[in-house]
Amino acid sequence: MEPPCPAHALPAAAPARALNPPRPARVLWGEGRPAQVNGEAVSGLRESWLVEDRWWTAEPLRRRYWELVGEAGRNLVVFHDLCSGCWFVQGP
Amino acid sequence: MVDSPSSAPYVELHCHSAYSFLDGASLPEELVRAAGDLGHTALALTDHNSVSGSMELAQAAADHGVRAIHGAEIDVLACPAAEDPTGREGRRHLTLLVSDERGWRNLCRIITLAHAHTRELSARREASEPWVDLQSVTGHAEGLVCLTGCARWGVREEPAAGRLLAAFGPENLYVELQRPYTRGDRARNRALAALARRLGVRCVASGDVHAHAHERAELQDAFVALRHHATLDASEPLRRGNHSHVMSTPRAMASRFADHPEAVRETVLLAERLRFDLGRDLGYRYPGAEDGQASRRLGELCGARLVERYGPGPGRSSSPERSPAALAQARARLEEELAVIGRLGLAGFFLLHHDMLQLAREVALEVRGPDSVRAMLAPGRGRGSSVSSLVCYLTGLSHIDPIAGGLALGRFLHEDLHGLPDIDLDFPRDIRERLIPRVHERYGHDRAALVAAFPTFRSRGAIRELGKVLGLPAGEIERLARGADSYGPSYERDIAGMAERTRAGGGQPGAEEGPPARASERWRWLARLVEQAYGLPRHLSQHPGGMIVSTRPLIDCCPVVPAAMEGRQMVQWDKDSCADAGFLKIDLLGLGMLSAVERCVEEIARVRGERIDLSRIPFDDPTTFRAIRAADTVGVFQIESRAQMQSLLRTRPMNLEDLTIQVAIVRPGPIQGGAINPYIERRSRLREDPSFQIPYEHPALEPVLRETLGTIIFQDQVMQVAEAFAGFSPGEADGLRRAMSRKRPGEMLVRQRERFIEGAMRHCGAQRQSAERVWKMVEGFAGFGFPKAHSAAFGLLAYQSTWLRVHYGPEFLCSLLNEQPMGFYAPDSLVHEAQSKSPDARIPVLPLDVNASEVQCTVQDAGVRLGLAYVKEVPAAEAQALVAERLSGGPYRSLGDLASRAGARRLTLEQLAWSGACDSLIGAGADRPVGERDRRSALWQLGLAVPARAEGQGTQLALALEPAQAPALRPLSRWEKLIADYSTSGVTPGDHAMAILRPRLTVSRLATSAQLARLPSGGEVAVAGLVIARQRPGTANGTMFLLFEDEFGTINLIVPEAVYERHRNLARTEPLLLARGRLERHRERGLTDARRAREARRDSQQAPEEVRPVINVLVRELAPLERYLAGGLEQPGQREGAEVAELPGQAAEVGSSMRAVAPPIQSFASGRRR
Repeated sequence: MEPPCPAHALPAAAPARALNPPRPARVLWGEGRPAQVNGEAVSGLRESWLVEDRWWTAEPLRRRYWELVGEAGRNLVVFHDLCSGCWFVQGP
Repeated sequence: MVDSPSSAPYVELHCHSAYSFLDGASLPEELVRAAGDLGHTALALTDHNSVSGSMELAQAAADHGVRAIHGAEIDVLACPAAEDPTGREGRRHLTLLVSDERGWRNLCRIITLAHAHTRELSARREASEPWVDLQSVTGHAEGLVCLTGCARWGVREEPAAGRLLAAFGPENLYVELQRPYTRGDRARNRALAALARRLGVRCVASGDVHAHAHERAELQDAFVALRHHATLDASEPLRRGNHSHVMSTPRAMASRFADHPEAVRETVLLAERLRFDLGRDLGYRYPGAEDGQASRRLGELCGARLVERYGPGPGRSSSPERSPAALAQARARLEEELAVIGRLGLAGFFLLHHDMLQLAREVALEVRGPDSVRAMLAPGRGRGSSVSSLVCYLTGLSHIDPIAGGLALGRFLHEDLHGLPDIDLDFPRDIRERLIPRVHERYGHDRAALVAAFPTFRSRGAIRELGKVLGLPAGEIERLARGADSYGPSYERDIAGMAERTRAGGGQPGAEEGPPARASERWRWLARLVEQAYGLPRHLSQHPGGMIVSTRPLIDCCPVVPAAMEGRQMVQWDKDSCADAGFLKIDLLGLGMLSAVERCVEEIARVRGERIDLSRIPFDDPTTFRAIRAADTVGVFQIESRAQMQSLLRTRPMNLEDLTIQVAIVRPGPIQGGAINPYIERRSRLREDPSFQIPYEHPALEPVLRETLGTIIFQDQVMQVAEAFAGFSPGEADGLRRAMSRKRPGEMLVRQRERFIEGAMRHCGAQRQSAERVWKMVEGFAGFGFPKAHSAAFGLLAYQSTWLRVHYGPEFLCSLLNEQPMGFYAPDSLVHEAQSKSPDARIPVLPLDVNASEVQCTVQDAGVRLGLAYVKEVPAAEAQALVAERLSGGPYRSLGDLASRAGARRLTLEQLAWSGACDSLIGAGADRPVGERDRRSALWQLGLAVPARAEGQGTQLALALEPAQAPALRPLSRWEKLIADYSTSGVTPGDHAMAILRPRLTVSRLATSAQLARLPSGGEVAVAGLVIARQRPGTANGTMFLLFEDEFGTINLIVPEAVYERHRNLARTEPLLLARGRLERHRERGLTDARRAREARRDSQQAPEEVRPVINVLVRELAPLERYLAGGLEQPGQREGAEVAELPGQAAEVGSSMRAVAPPIQSFASGRRR
């Protein structure tokens, strides 16, 4: 189990207030995909994608996203920030 | 080859190179090298609607143990819909792969169709996007394998997929699966797999590679933004969003598709079936290649000409080469050449060229008219290797007698010839323009096409485009681009340095010494992207004159696409790819100097009634060679540049053979090969001491390097050295030459080096070190060098143009002014040079005058009258109408008369008035002399005489009313007149800027160009002038050369790298400069008294020749000239009653007014610009 990242490791806040900003998450790694997110077991994988962007700015973006199905049947979107090594959960 | 299915688990079947233009960031060679390094056994190149990179891929693949697979990604209107009339929504991408020869033919035809409509819009220069309808693909399915296309644009619609299935069959249609790591990949691939099951076809995986390595990944993002005319910040939805488009290992690719292992296996199985080899015969034949009678016909043609040329013809002038011995020698050479040609089966090729020349003659006759003096001139002349052939000489392709000239046959014809020899023909521009469409007509539009060229990203263009993509401020980007070097690998430093200065200094010259500020992230990325983009192809363009002709439709060999100019089309391959394909290339090049000498000959006939045949002028004219030795060569062909002039003062050419070497010597090849200084040094030693022994690196080199004093100056010498020293066969030596003349010699040259050095040690027992030194000389030529035959043709034209300049100065100047742009000097510099000659040689240049100027410049009263075509914004038709009206209705009597009769627009008349062309019409009866009547009054009067704009439907003609007298307007000062001249015509026949400024300059030790010859060498000096050339050749290790012009002549300046770096912006952009530094004068040793006396005797009617020294100023410091203008510039005018300031009140205005209008000059390697 990786420890949750401190809030100050978040990407700098955008000038306008963003809806549903990413929150630090505790993720347990399993067979080629997250096995547990904030204590909830993962039962399925929907999609996985990669964002490598804004490399020309002072805040480059490098994230591996996972869209998962939780035990309870709800969708979970988490990403691994490849710059900081921290995990975040995205969405409501 | 190592491509058994077991050796790699995956083959990449979808890959874009930079030939997808802004959708691919690596060269085919880089991709194939990376593929080899990563363990791939085969690689397919699938550029967008193009096979431009295929031949490069095929050539490079063999070197890296990778098998090349050919194909393309085609835009297809797969899903047409009524509600989508433009078809934009219905377009999809299909990946087509070639399995055999029929497939290649079909792919070429499909791509040709895709481009056929791209130049149909009114703006032909801008090509629209290529695409084909689905039928064009299904109709050409044979031999092709079709994949349904990429993740974003592939075919997913069942009706379209069904039509493809019907055409390609279940064996040759695959559903393409990609995994670009975007959201929705897995769902899409599941749906595509289901589609494949329904269709009953297989799935195949592909990687959609766009870069060979991670360091190019960002460039690909930048290219996407550039392609969409957007910034990186604004193009997020358009790009891929990550860097999974970088080439990966086969193993990593297999695991990327872990959910679809069968699609991974299929890549290997499919690749096994794609066995088309582009290196094999494409079926290309040139016209005449299959003519069984060709040898006989060529023999007859040459035999007849041989007797005409060398035989003792009745009634012909007896020239020395018309002896029975010469005839026998020529006949032996002809037989030798014909035998080689026969064995190589090239007789048809020579007949084709002869045919081509006949065509050129017909065109020339149409262009010139039958009675013109130009009709005596040959329509074109050979350059390059073709001129060393007697067959070429006899068939009229070249004008150099190879027997008299001692030219070797080697490069052109040898028995183990791999490709076809090139034949290059130079034409005057007007003839070439008409000839190219005629060649299309003669050989058929589907059988003749131009060769393509690919302009590459250079630092300037890359800075502009990539800077915009990064969202950097336009003004700073432009400043940076203008200041950027166009050569060398130092972009990062240049950009970082310039960015810092740009940010520190506020854009004013002289402000560049500010403290360096930290370059921001984006600037650093700019430096990196520019470096990565350097040398990548930017777009498809046409080669200046290379043509391919074929016996069968060219579209079976290579796609043919329309070119920007009406009636022209080109293949998708550049000259290297065409050569690799074995295509016969004919270069039809336009040469401005040929046009200029033709104009000159015509003007001489018009003015003096003399008919001159340039092939019969004396070729040992002492006055002409004197002028050459004194570097009195402004405007002549080749030997006019700053570097050539300085070299002429030291090499001191005595005859045409010396000139042949001279035109070849100031080239990157001899300079990098280290030939230039030893040659000059040895020539000078020989002049002093005729018994001087030339030091050869090895005795084996003496026979081939004797005439160039032990140095390599001609390209043929590279081959001769390879044969004599390293034991190469003629074919191997030609291979070496070809390797060196490629755009990117790279690894081909490394292999040649080993063979050369080992060959030298084996063949003539050379020491390794010695062999390496000789290789260094050889390798230097990778830059660029002329073949001797080419130099001989150019040297001859250099002589002919100098001869015209010496004996017919006004006509020659006039023809140069009319044939712009050409040569090293801007028209303004040509005019000033003519005016600053010694009094007996001075050529008056007469100003523009609506009552005296023709449309073009003309010789009038032994001077040159500027033509109205020089006035900017004046359409040619209006200038012609103005002159025609003057011829029929008599001179214009007043401005009102001009406005009503000339039928010109208001803007035209204003430009004419401001250029001074109406000076003679101002205020009839005015008391001031003509030259000083004023342009302000002219503008005022015209403003009253001409209606403001066209009224209603028609143009209202001005009434011939005499406008009221102008109020007392302040006349233009000399400076204002100069600025007006430059802004309207780019030329001033009046005062030189320095003549106006000099009295106001307060600078110690200021010397004029005329004084430099008398001041002590080594002393401190200040010089000022108008910059007329800036150069920083890649061969000069960072040194910059400036050429100043003042009212007496020119001054050469050498700016060392440290000084250049300190004053870079000033040195690169400021038109009026002051330089301080050390005067360096060098008078060539040599000319012993005996020799001098001999020379004097030979030109007995002339005084002994003065040896002009080489003069340079070694610059320590540069400054804008305006800084040294005395304060209180307001000075009363010299004329009574009028308060005329010679110069603007503020010194800074001098610089800024000049910066805005300074004529474009020779600026670095990229031609003239401001």
